[in-house]
Amino acid sequence: MTKKYDTPLLDELEKGPFPSFVTEMKKAAAKNAMAADELGQLEKSFRDKVTYWKHGGIVGVRGYGGGVIGRYSQLADEFPGVAHFHTVRVNQPSGLFYTSETMKFFCDLWDKYGSGLTNFHGSTGDIIFLGTVTDNLEPLATILSMNGFDLGGSGSAMRTPSCCVGPARCEWSMIDTLDITYDLTQEFQDELHRPQFPYKFKIKTVGCPVDCNASIARADLSIIGTWKGPIAIDQDKVKDYAKKGMNIQEEIVNFCPGKCITWDGNTLTINNSDCLHCMHCITKLAGALKPTPPFGAVILIGAKAPFVIGATLSWVIVPFMEMKPPYQEIKDLIRNMWDWWNEYGKNRERIGELILRRGMREFLEVCGLEPTPEMVKEPRNDPFWFWTEEDLEKKPWEEYLK
Amino acid sequence: MEKEELKKAIYQLIEQSAGKKKYKQADLIKHFRQQGISDADTKAAIRELIDAGDLIYTYFGGSYIELGEKRKGA
Repeated sequence: MTKKYDTPLLDELEKGPFPSFVTEMKKAAAKNAMAADELGQLEKSFRDKVTYWKHGGIVGVRGYGGGVIGRYSQLADEFPGVAHFHTVRVNQPSGLFYTSETMKFFCDLWDKYGSGLTNFHGSTGDIIFLGTVTDNLEPLATILSMNGFDLGGSGSAMRTPSCCVGPARCEWSMIDTLDITYDLTQEFQDELHRPQFPYKFKIKTVGCPVDCNASIARADLSIIGTWKGPIAIDQDKVKDYAKKGMNIQEEIVNFCPGKCITWDGNTLTINNSDCLHCMHCITKLAGALKPTPPFGAVILIGAKAPFVIGATLSWVIVPFMEMKPPYQEIKDLIRNMWDWWNEYGKNRERIGELILRRGMREFLEVCGLEPTPEMVKEPRNDPFWFWTEEDLEKKPWEEYLK
Repeated sequence: MEKEELKKAIYQLIEQSAGKKKYKQADLIKHFRQQGISDADTKAAIRELIDAGDLIYTYFGGSYIELGEKRKGA
């Protein structure tokens, strides 16, 4: 019989129409002492407005530098079940596809070795097992490994790459996000399990600019599917949308950021050279518009919320890259940027912050990338021009003098 | 430098700096690069030390490499 705590503050979170994590924790607490004490400590934290967790340290699985986040209670005497309450991250399958058998395996495993509390999935994408003791880590990792699973990334390492469902379920996916994610995960096993960077590095892959995985906001390196061909238009289907009440002018044309769509009430026209590939029109007129090959990916760098300068979206470094196995071009690019980051990055400095500190020019040079208009985030607003010796040797002013 | 010699040098550096300075893998690579050791060799030596449990990864706001015995106190 597990210990029961009065939880008036947590009970408030069970009210209302939405599912409650408190309800789920209470179910686990009925049969697991760790979950019961976790509930008790959480209530106390709410009451005192203090977190009683210590985090980090030296806990882990031999040979691995990540995958386990050490967590200890400051109230071990009062809540002995959570004296150790480590979090385990497990590398999720690409696209988060599971069989029922696999889910049962995870649940049984965590009932045996942990608190029974899980989180599918953490913000990085991993399967999160919440709450276990140090002695259970080695056997747990062994059993996971024997069943085809591995720990995920944590600390100053490449984090577990994640992706959208991609071509498995989505008609708009222009790259095989599942295969790319799996391939990169295998390629960079060392960087995933052995922390060797100044700070974390996240890779997220999505099949189209709709960006269901929010890679543009959450990943240091975003791989976003895109297209180069013209947008194919089925005029009859566009007219059907209009007949059914869609205001094409207001809902499609006026929302186009490239101002490249016109609609005369009968025919939709797109000036593809001005298209910014946002996919607004394609998603709103599903079936009537669709992208055409060649397909590839746009590569972006540097997103993260708590940046030195505030929340930052990633910005374009490669406007179009073919994404075909073995994905050598993207692998080489990633290794180049890591070398530079490892050389100059300060402790806890993300790669985007390093680019801001040392400049995009240097970053492009070390990555072997040519500057292109797509990289311009906003037009510069100062009158100064900076020329290198190499630039001057090319006499760029002669072009203007003509 | 032979691999075993390099492993010993890495271990000693971590041992001597325990409690004074924490090293990341990149710090170790830069340190031994100055002695003419290639990055790949240092990386491989660190890997063997970690796999043997002589050194471990720790996390204190960032990931570091420290002496393996510390794990016993976790």
